[in-house]
Amino acid sequence: MKTVSLSIDGKSVTVSADTTILNAAAGAGIDIPHLCYDPRVEPLGSCRLCGVKVEGMRGVIASCGQVVSDGMKVTTEDDELALHRRQILELLLSDHPPACTGCDKSGNCRLQDYAYRYHADQNRFGPFTPQPDGPNYTTLNKGILYDAEKCIKCGLCVKYCETVQMADALTFAWRAKRLVVTTPFNEDLHKTTCELCGGCIRVCPVGAMLDKSAVGLGREKDLSRVRTTCSYCGVGCQMDLVVDKARNRIVRVTAEPSSPINDGNLCVKGHFGFEFVASKDRLTHPLIRKNGKLEKATWDEAIALVGKRMREIRDQHGPDAIAFVSSSRCTNEENYLMQKLARTAGGTNNVDNCATSCHAPSVAGLAMAFGSGAMTNSTAEIKDCNVLFLIGANPTEAHPIFGLEMKRALRRGAKLIVCDPRKTWLAQRAHIHIQHRPGSDNMLLNAMMRCILDEGLADKTFIEGRCENFEEFRENLRRYTVKAAAKYCGVDAELIRTAARWYATGNPSAIYYTLGITEHACGTDNVKNVANLAMLCGQIGKPSSGVNPLRGQNNVQGACDMGAMAHKLPGYQDVTDPATRAKFEKAWGVALPQNKGGKVPYFLEAAGRGELRALYVMGEDLVATEPNSARVIEHLRNLEFFVIQEIFLNETAKLAQVVLPSACWAEKDGTFCASERRMQLIRKAVEPPGEARADWQILCAVAAAMGYPMQYQSPAQVFDEMAGLSPIFAGISHQRIATANGLQWPCPTPDHPGTRFLHEGKFTRGKGKFHAITFQAQKEEPCEEFPLILSTGRTLYNYNCGTMTRRSAVIHQKEPANFVEIHADTAARYGIRPDEKVIVRTRRGQVTGRAIVGDRVRPDTIWMPFHFAEEPTNAITNDVFDPVTATAEYKCCAAVLEKIH
Amino acid sequence: MNTSTTNSRWRIAVGLGSCGVAAGESIYELIAQRGDPSRVTLHKTGCAGLCHREPMLELYSPSGEHWTYVHLDKRAVCQILDRHVGRNQPVEKYLLEGAGRAESVRGFLSKQKKIVLENCGVIDPESLEAYRAVGGYRALARVLGRMTAAQVIEQITASGLRGRGGAGFLTGLKWKYAAEAPGEQKYIVCNGDEGDPGAFMDRSVMESDPHRVIEGMAIGAFAIGASAGFVYVRAEYPLAVLRMTLAIEQARAAGLLGKKFDIEIREGAGAFVCGEETALIQSIEGARGMPRMRPPFPAQRGLWGCPTVINNVETFANVPWIINNGPAAFAALGTEKSKGTKVFSIVGKIRNSGLIEVPMGITLSEIIYEMGGGSGTGRPIKAVQTGGPSGGCIPAALFDTRIDYEELVRHGAIMGSGGMIVVDEDTCMVDLARYFLAFTAKECCGKCSPCRLGTAQLLEILTRITEGHGAEADLQTLTELGATVKTTSLCGLGQTAPNPVLTTLRYFRHEYEEHIRERRCRAGVCQALMLAPCENSCPLNMNIPGYLQLLKENRLHDAFEMVLLDNPLPATTGRVCQYPCEQRCRRATLDEPVNMREVHRYIADTQLRRTPAAKIVGRLKQRKLSVTGKHVAIAGAGPAGLTAAFYLALLGHNVTVFEAAAHPGGMLRYALPQYRLPKNTLDREIAVIRGLGVRFTCNTALGRDITLDELTGAHDAVLLAFGTWEEQDLGVPGRERAGVLSGLDFLQAVSRGKKNSVGHRVIVIGGGNAAIDSARTALRLGAEVTIVYRRAREEMPAIAEETAHALEEGVRLVTLAAPVQVLGENGKVTGLEVQKTVLGKFDTRGRRTPVPTGEKYVIPCDTIIEAIGQKVEAGLSRKLGLGLTGSGTVEVDPWTLRTNDPKVFAAGDVVSGAANVSAAMALGKKAARNIDRQLTGQDRFRELWPALKYDNTPPPHGQGGKRNTVTIAGCAARRHNFNEVVRTFSAGQARAETLRCLRCDIKTAGEDEA
Repeated sequence: MKTVSLSIDGKSVTVSADTTILNAAAGAGIDIPHLCYDPRVEPLGSCRLCGVKVEGMRGVIASCGQVVSDGMKVTTEDDELALHRRQILELLLSDHPPACTGCDKSGNCRLQDYAYRYHADQNRFGPFTPQPDGPNYTTLNKGILYDAEKCIKCGLCVKYCETVQMADALTFAWRAKRLVVTTPFNEDLHKTTCELCGGCIRVCPVGAMLDKSAVGLGREKDLSRVRTTCSYCGVGCQMDLVVDKARNRIVRVTAEPSSPINDGNLCVKGHFGFEFVASKDRLTHPLIRKNGKLEKATWDEAIALVGKRMREIRDQHGPDAIAFVSSSRCTNEENYLMQKLARTAGGTNNVDNCATSCHAPSVAGLAMAFGSGAMTNSTAEIKDCNVLFLIGANPTEAHPIFGLEMKRALRRGAKLIVCDPRKTWLAQRAHIHIQHRPGSDNMLLNAMMRCILDEGLADKTFIEGRCENFEEFRENLRRYTVKAAAKYCGVDAELIRTAARWYATGNPSAIYYTLGITEHACGTDNVKNVANLAMLCGQIGKPSSGVNPLRGQNNVQGACDMGAMAHKLPGYQDVTDPATRAKFEKAWGVALPQNKGGKVPYFLEAAGRGELRALYVMGEDLVATEPNSARVIEHLRNLEFFVIQEIFLNETAKLAQVVLPSACWAEKDGTFCASERRMQLIRKAVEPPGEARADWQILCAVAAAMGYPMQYQSPAQVFDEMAGLSPIFAGISHQRIATANGLQWPCPTPDHPGTRFLHEGKFTRGKGKFHAITFQAQKEEPCEEFPLILSTGRTLYNYNCGTMTRRSAVIHQKEPANFVEIHADTAARYGIRPDEKVIVRTRRGQVTGRAIVGDRVRPDTIWMPFHFAEEPTNAITNDVFDPVTATAEYKCCAAVLEKIH
Repeated sequence: MNTSTTNSRWRIAVGLGSCGVAAGESIYELIAQRGDPSRVTLHKTGCAGLCHREPMLELYSPSGEHWTYVHLDKRAVCQILDRHVGRNQPVEKYLLEGAGRAESVRGFLSKQKKIVLENCGVIDPESLEAYRAVGGYRALARVLGRMTAAQVIEQITASGLRGRGGAGFLTGLKWKYAAEAPGEQKYIVCNGDEGDPGAFMDRSVMESDPHRVIEGMAIGAFAIGASAGFVYVRAEYPLAVLRMTLAIEQARAAGLLGKKFDIEIREGAGAFVCGEETALIQSIEGARGMPRMRPPFPAQRGLWGCPTVINNVETFANVPWIINNGPAAFAALGTEKSKGTKVFSIVGKIRNSGLIEVPMGITLSEIIYEMGGGSGTGRPIKAVQTGGPSGGCIPAALFDTRIDYEELVRHGAIMGSGGMIVVDEDTCMVDLARYFLAFTAKECCGKCSPCRLGTAQLLEILTRITEGHGAEADLQTLTELGATVKTTSLCGLGQTAPNPVLTTLRYFRHEYEEHIRERRCRAGVCQALMLAPCENSCPLNMNIPGYLQLLKENRLHDAFEMVLLDNPLPATTGRVCQYPCEQRCRRATLDEPVNMREVHRYIADTQLRRTPAAKIVGRLKQRKLSVTGKHVAIAGAGPAGLTAAFYLALLGHNVTVFEAAAHPGGMLRYALPQYRLPKNTLDREIAVIRGLGVRFTCNTALGRDITLDELTGAHDAVLLAFGTWEEQDLGVPGRERAGVLSGLDFLQAVSRGKKNSVGHRVIVIGGGNAAIDSARTALRLGAEVTIVYRRAREEMPAIAEETAHALEEGVRLVTLAAPVQVLGENGKVTGLEVQKTVLGKFDTRGRRTPVPTGEKYVIPCDTIIEAIGQKVEAGLSRKLGLGLTGSGTVEVDPWTLRTNDPKVFAAGDVVSGAANVSAAMALGKKAARNIDRQLTGQDRFRELWPALKYDNTPPPHGQGGKRNTVTIAGCAARRHNFNEVVRTFSAGQARAETLRCLRCDIKTAGEDEA
């Protein structure tokens, strides 16, 4: 974009040619007053405060909408403009409660600020006439409070809801002076399409939209803000915890525009999901099982016991009799310490994290194809995609801010292809929706690639120049045809062809996928095939073009980065490489184990067999998240010693011998690595409850008790040690992260700016490797007894095992219990009526859920979330695993529906 | 219009636009039933624009002759069928240009230049063939067959056509932008969301010539490369929707739209703001109709983000004509920047309301007076609101303004879509602004804050002022807020909504000030500021319903007290007042106005005659406030001086009246002839004033016998009320000759008893009351009298009955004659040479200017009395050392009547220039109040009034019979003497007349409460 020069209040300013006067002025430090402008929505021009004078243009020009031009002369303030502004403010105040004294927004209210600036305090337009104080659309809602009296009707909330969140929950009703914000037909907010993203609250320039639970808990000046990273999914949103330090309480959560990943946007979990922090159920003291019961103990007692037992078992049964499960919920530093604990004090490579149950196939598969297993592109690149190819991903629910960026791409004219057995939000709005049967992904991908080859759309230059093993791959594809694939997948062949053509010719195209690809017994194959597709079309290694696994947990990327897995040391350095080992041995002062190490499913099976005797788990609810929970419990019970660090006494913790209470994300410092490989800080906002301690502190104490003293002053120190050992993180430190708004690895040197997208010019492994992928059907095919395919996934409102989100009243109101999505035809076949409770049964057991009848799923499929401990879906999912990564096949098993009589 | 007929039958066409349907569908049905199909064929057409003549029909003879019949009813239709169609005898009575109508409607028709409306009312709007028969779709064929898109745009640009929706953007330029904008999909939209009250141009075009709009759109679509078009019509226009839909279907079926283009109708739900193009786009898209910011302009990003041209119905209707006749023909019409014609709907207080199409550049005066026929109510036209509710009000004084986009804006108004609402003196300009603001404040979408809250606040303030709660600061607030709303609002609605306020403030600020400072609404519209229309229109604000009611209750004494306190000269004014009250009387809507003046004359005459002055004074003195010890001098004992003296005395001041003449009374005594005002009546009234303690020092003229300094030295306040005693001269040669008199001198001489002051053949020049008085006085002295007046009789300012009486008595009236010179021999008058005049252009007051024809003739005479008006004796005031106005009157603060000397006030004709008795008294009353306020620092005036209780039950509907009229002395009995001509009501008459009052002063009517 070319730049132009103009003069604003006599100041010379040079900005890019698409800048508005308002932003150009802001850049020059000139604050033009505005109430209705937000960088995320198209300028509304409703408040009319930002009017300026431009030489040669008639009248007063709204600077929020007027783009600059070369040589423009702008005056932002003079007597006439001040008079207009004063009068507009007086008008607004004439329709607004007269006193700011009772308003939560006081001190953080632009109307208040401008009224002061322009002396709009004369009340020339008569007294405020209060509107009848009746119930409104937010009265019964638990999250959001709308105060029509304070509302200045700027329309930001409506526009945000309509164009950014695209939820269309808010609208204006009436007109003229009666204008008011409400929902369509004035329906109660929680019954509408509102997704509780809280955007309306965050954009409101005055105190009209508020967090209901924060009302009366303090005004801005009484509270402090702590910038941190969201603790839910892997997007890595930056947010501000608004904290009452004196009362050690998070009052509300907000976010500011221009934060690097989320631009001030949040989802329901980010905005409303913090209630768990102050929950009465939090663990506050160490617990030790005595006489079969968990009883309160002191830290000394507990640490001593853990140290003693772990040591004993290690010494008696060898290091491989113990295992460590690290946590994708915890910080990088803690993951680093956990794997260090395992490898030093534990002397074993038996360390794993929950990536195994989700994106381990990505890490493995992409590493095989490209040499690196992370998201190739950045979040900010999504909006510039020309063709978005989504497969097995439901970002508007599972990664809402990625979803938001995709909505933005859609608004900017991107073509959207969604391959998903469900009609997700994006699928409904996609230009092509391929609703293939669960588990048929490779059939589909092979068919698409066959079509691309047949039609000569492959990028030959790219393949020849940058890839290898192409011939074998091409040979393999000869066995697949679009026609046959269409039949197997249950979709229209022409759709497959069009999708193939669009993807191949998009400028640029990018692939986004999540667990719909990985959570299969053939998960790694799936990932490799996705990589094949990108290489075939040369759609990788460019801005907005690549292969992007959207990581699930807030720090699952980091847990892998830190080497909390059996075969990798921090920074993806191979355990089997002697040079690497030597480097670490030198740094850590111990000999490192050379055993292979296992993954969580192997730990459980080994425990069941009695080979594994001690398990140390940090922040992981295995019972709720591993498939076939009954067997998981059985295995865990078989352990000789089981210790867990947790914030709640969840189903897994209940089985432990020692429970160590830990601080949650808001109570400690550290870093998370976002899905886009960005290292970001989390900051301590409140003190942990009772005697709970930060996980890194607990780990140090345990290490010492096991005979390997670890002493760190702060997480920053831990990070520095880690970075010193890992070339791809070598240039990163807490200090740099703080000043640079996060850094994307690889970042090898302290002056390296970080890496926006991977594989530019060259793959990490050198040449990109094609793999010939043979289609494999799902492990448990539907049969007469279990004729349906059960698939599982996340919803927008709840998060994984629900420990955190289900403690939010706002979320509970919106999504209180488990449910089953059933196609209307299927429901009719089983005589199931909408909303009735039904039983879903598989070979492993049964759960119940409310029937959601419609057309979101295929007639041969049913779908359930897995967030509800009282109706645990994972009790019935299939515990068969991907041979490479041990990732379970959560996404399809055979099931049957039963009506409750 | 001659339209050839293909057979030997008569053709009847009935205009059936919406208004035509409302007015005349029964006519159509009647003809369908009654007409003999072998002789007559019946057709529907659209609207011819002559709304004020509906129901109408057009009759075409088999030979193609054409008549327009108007104001039809069942009888008329039967007569036309029987006599004209049957026997070939036109029915004169119902012809458009029949006797007595021709004059009024000729201007309406002849000044029009029809382009857009050329087929309206002529062709059948539901027939494609009819449109094609008059050349329809030829322009489209030509465009598609022979022109490139660029050529079309070039032609439209060259024509200078500007958007007729109001903003006046160059149509060709808009098309060019859209044509050049990148994008495969483009749209063309016809804005038919006409929503202004009083505007119906677009409706009429859509109802009467829908194919023309479609043709224009199709040409536009070709020019910009649009593949789809939308016609956005409000759902309140069902007939327009129906006919446009039908026309689109016909055009589509006939293949006229082509394969690549189609048009759809979108019905708007009636939000005014949806006429704004960006709101209209949202509305078509199915969203809430709210405007968005521009840029980007719709030509770049419009419907669904695609380049879109939005033009108004009228704009499109111009397009085929331009293609057919060439851009030069179009550009030849109009002004430099505004080309072609413009359709206006002229409505309001105008005689010929309807739809007109005129060339740009025509003046408002031509439209309103020549085409509109002037005021429809008889009251002078005050202003015209152009451009609908968000347009501006242009005062009559600026009616020579040319219709041109820029000119109208220069005066604070806008072209708008072409609504023109004419208002007369009975319209309150504050209330008018309030009315329009009420509309825009309600129709505001609410999106932007200055418009949403600003219009609401403007409305609030205006409402407050009309309810009598206005404050002085409100005017500044209105001005500033209006400017802010206008300057900062998002869309055209807010940017223009304050126009009615700002223009009325600019041109009629005094009305606002009257509302705020005097709690007075001169137009008698603002109910809170008046008792009843009669009271409001009375210069003295007499409680007319009150005295009528008191008399009805047989409380003559109370009635008299009430009358006297409101009006110290009740018997006099009962005779000579020009009774504006009757013009506003609501009884007139039922039958005839209440004869209020005669009732109050009856009350005064009866009481003054029956009751000794001392007794009247005795009762009045009970109301007198305590003595203040302040001394007030009044110079002049005319109506203003007497009135002021009366009130100042009652207020407790010491009052001395200095009078130049021998007796008090001023003009009442010396200019009003005895036969109109017997001097003993006047004396009785003066006796009462004297009785209150007022001292009269006669034969003492200010400036001659006493100086102003002497007066101010000896008194606490001085009121100048010495009137206008200098006759304006005609300024024609020869008036120095003996026998040329001024009317005033003549009447004075006669009143002093000089009976031989005129000759035998007298000419009176002038048309006012003084001229009539002079003529009738001369007649009574035995002369043969001719009145010469340069305009027509209807325009004479004299009281019409007085003129009638004069003519009855034998005075000759020569109108349309302007004096040229006085002829004479030996220094004596022998005749007056006059020149015939004809009535020319309307002046800004709506009067036609007499234009000399050059044709001269002589009227022989021996005396000429000039009675064309009086003026202030100029030298005198200058001698007093006071400031004067441009017209020579004493300069005063209009609200306090104080001169530039703080001790000196002025009232009556010295302030207003020659006016009538009541007006002078009103100023005297006002002066008294302000002098008292200044002397005491309090406003004690209202304390004088009686707290008289009377029944406030609304009278039964229609109570009272016909209007009672006075008895007038027979012509023979009165023409040779000075006996009073008009007799007082009898008690029975007066009582009967009181029953006729509708009691508009009762504000909480029982019906409403029920």
